[in-house]
Amino acid sequence: MSESRRDEQKLWLILFQIKGVRARLNFLALQRWVFATLALLIGAIGIAFFAAASFTPLIFLIVAAIAVLAAIVGIIRETTLVRARRASPARAATIADDRAQMQGRLATVLAWAEAPQRTTLWPYLVEDTYGRRENYEPSRVEPRWLSRAIWPLLASLMLVALAFPAAHLGQGLRRNRSSFGGGQPGQTSADINDLDIRPADPALQPNAQIYADPATLKKLADKLVAAENEERHRSGLAKMLDKARQFADTFQNKLNGLDRNRNPLRMRLTDSKPGQSSGAQNHGTNPGQSGKPNGNPNGGGGLANNSQPGGHGAAEPGNGQGPPPMTSLPEQLADELAKNGTSPPAGSDQGANGANSPGNPNDANADGGAGHGSGSDPASLFGPASAQPLGSDSFKIAIEAEPSDEASSHGSPTYVPPRIRVPLNSQQYPDQPLARATVPADDETTIKRVFER
Amino acid sequence: MNEAHSAAVAELPSIADFARTFRRIQAEIHKVIIGHEQAVEELLSALFAGGHVLIEGVPGTGKTTLVKTLGLALNLSFNRIQFTVDLMPADITGTRVIMSSVDGRREFSFQPGPIFCHILLGDEINRATPKTQSALLEAMAELQVTVSGTTYPLAPPYFVMATLNPIEMEGTYPLPEAQLDRFLFKVRLGYPGEAELVRIISSTTGPEEAGVEPVFEPAEAAQRIEGLKRLVREVLVASPIEQYAARLVRATQPANSRVIGDLHSPIVVDEVNRYVSFGASPRGALALILGAKVRAMLDGRANIAYDDIDRVAPAALEHRIMLNYAAHSDNVDAEHIVEQVIKAARTSRA
Repeated sequence: MSESRRDEQKLWLILFQIKGVRARLNFLALQRWVFATLALLIGAIGIAFFAAASFTPLIFLIVAAIAVLAAIVGIIRETTLVRARRASPARAATIADDRAQMQGRLATVLAWAEAPQRTTLWPYLVEDTYGRRENYEPSRVEPRWLSRAIWPLLASLMLVALAFPAAHLGQGLRRNRSSFGGGQPGQTSADINDLDIRPADPALQPNAQIYADPATLKKLADKLVAAENEERHRSGLAKMLDKARQFADTFQNKLNGLDRNRNPLRMRLTDSKPGQSSGAQNHGTNPGQSGKPNGNPNGGGGLANNSQPGGHGAAEPGNGQGPPPMTSLPEQLADELAKNGTSPPAGSDQGANGANSPGNPNDANADGGAGHGSGSDPASLFGPASAQPLGSDSFKIAIEAEPSDEASSHGSPTYVPPRIRVPLNSQQYPDQPLARATVPADDETTIKRVFER
Repeated sequence: MNEAHSAAVAELPSIADFARTFRRIQAEIHKVIIGHEQAVEELLSALFAGGHVLIEGVPGTGKTTLVKTLGLALNLSFNRIQFTVDLMPADITGTRVIMSSVDGRREFSFQPGPIFCHILLGDEINRATPKTQSALLEAMAELQVTVSGTTYPLAPPYFVMATLNPIEMEGTYPLPEAQLDRFLFKVRLGYPGEAELVRIISSTTGPEEAGVEPVFEPAEAAQRIEGLKRLVREVLVASPIEQYAARLVRATQPANSRVIGDLHSPIVVDEVNRYVSFGASPRGALALILGAKVRAMLDGRANIAYDDIDRVAPAALEHRIMLNYAAHSDNVDAEHIVEQVIKAARTSRA
């Protein structure tokens, strides 16, 4: 075999090993891309599920959007990075040079392999490089078969595996917290004066049952009217936000499979300031005007009426007949109502004119709703849904508050700060407007001059 | 790699011969010059790379002795010019004088100056005026001298070593950038250490002076050196390493001096933009590659490695970098700039 042929064979072997190094490096780069992409996708999906189970629709939407965006950016970045790090033959040779401490021999051989004219030192270089071939075997240059990007993927999987139980645990805790107050799940009480009624978050499903006396209900109705007016003046951006919330809620429900109407919140509404009327009272809406009984056909959340038991009594709150309305239901009674789903006894129903028979605790509403009596839907409590000015298809009551153990005891009146008037001392006089008087003739010129300045 | 193979490769004639000759010259020089190993290696590298050297050092550090010793070791013709303020270009290049011929006719005849030799030592070159300093330009770049319209070639190998005294700057003329750029390397000679100083004392104050044995025979010296210089040029360079050298040189240039569309250098050094007025020229890149080739040969390789470039970069680039006033006020020198550039370059290639 001639000398040149032998040199060519040696060169071919050197180049073959460089190709091997390159293949191994590119395989690892591909693995890295796959693992990193999977890790990002799984992480983003996990975060979205966790947010769906843990947060309100809007926060869920924001968190999920950020997670998805971060995943997309990460995948793009990773793709760019892997593309940039993809080993060309020259890059593979340079890497092999570095790792095998070949001091540029492989890169030089590769660069000059196809050159038509080589220098007199070329055979020396080939011989020298060939003699060191053990140093740059692919398995020595890159011993790994599996990319280190497997660790982020495993971490991502572990995170997701932990996130799901944590989310479910969180849901369970919230359910337990909402069931504070004598073991009656979801029951609480609130003062009408503390109630901030705003247009409902369209993402929230109606899930509250509210009990109150007629006067309080009237106040509530006034507030509803005010809130509805506010709703009419909402901007387009707010409406778009509502749509986003609605979308988020639907998506969230699909993700976590939650039925929000499963455990409706039972709230007793009280009034710590029975004499005061709300600002919306003069909007021309009198809840008692319709005066028609209105059963709760769907049994969903709504305002509890004060009618006779059995859910068939006419509820005409605020019609002026009967004794003056009570400020709140007796605590124990209201709790029983909420627990048993029955209407209060007639004796306690001072705001309704139909309180002519005692309540029958066993006469639950047959349609399986709250079962405490008719007319408990706030949208139709004061008359037929079509006739009343308060209701609309898109208007719901949403309680944007988490029940808390730190709340006052059931039915206790809200703290009202006392009015304090500090008496004036002997040198002080109450402010009084000055009486008009004619200007003295002598001063007219002076005053005129002053004002002309 | 097995030992047998290593030995076989090392015994290949050309590279082994080069390394042997180089080490031998080095050893002869170190008979006289104590210490300064790096300076001697850079000096010889410049010689075999075909460049010239600027030697900077305080008085008494052996600049002139080093150059003289080199001349003796190589057994080549050697001239020394002491540059002074009143030195004229004709004193270096030579001039035409009226000569009487045998038949009584008078005619102009060219009298070669001290520039006509193989090894030229320009001592304290910064003491001459720029006009005189520039008299060396043509000789250094093109190996020829033009006097009165006539061009006279210089015999290869031609090697100029100029010394600079960094102190006593009064009455000196800093070298023009054009001339600085023509020196392949700038070699620094610092003060020797204590042990080296003791050896210098004992070797120079005794009755016997250390003798330098010429490495080459007078008749073959020039030819041998030229042969080795040609061999250096045969060293192979991979394109990534050429690109690395180019990036390194570009990194010494401040961003505002780069051409439009070429502002995004892969190697960006903040200090360069802050302190450098003008970076290294393309000659700097050539110096990097040529110096690295010599380094590779000394290491028994027929190819350049990145480390070779890094090792020659300080000597090849420092004198090509023009610093601004901010650098002088902040006490930043070119050495620091080149260090930063090399550091950034290493990071970029990792």
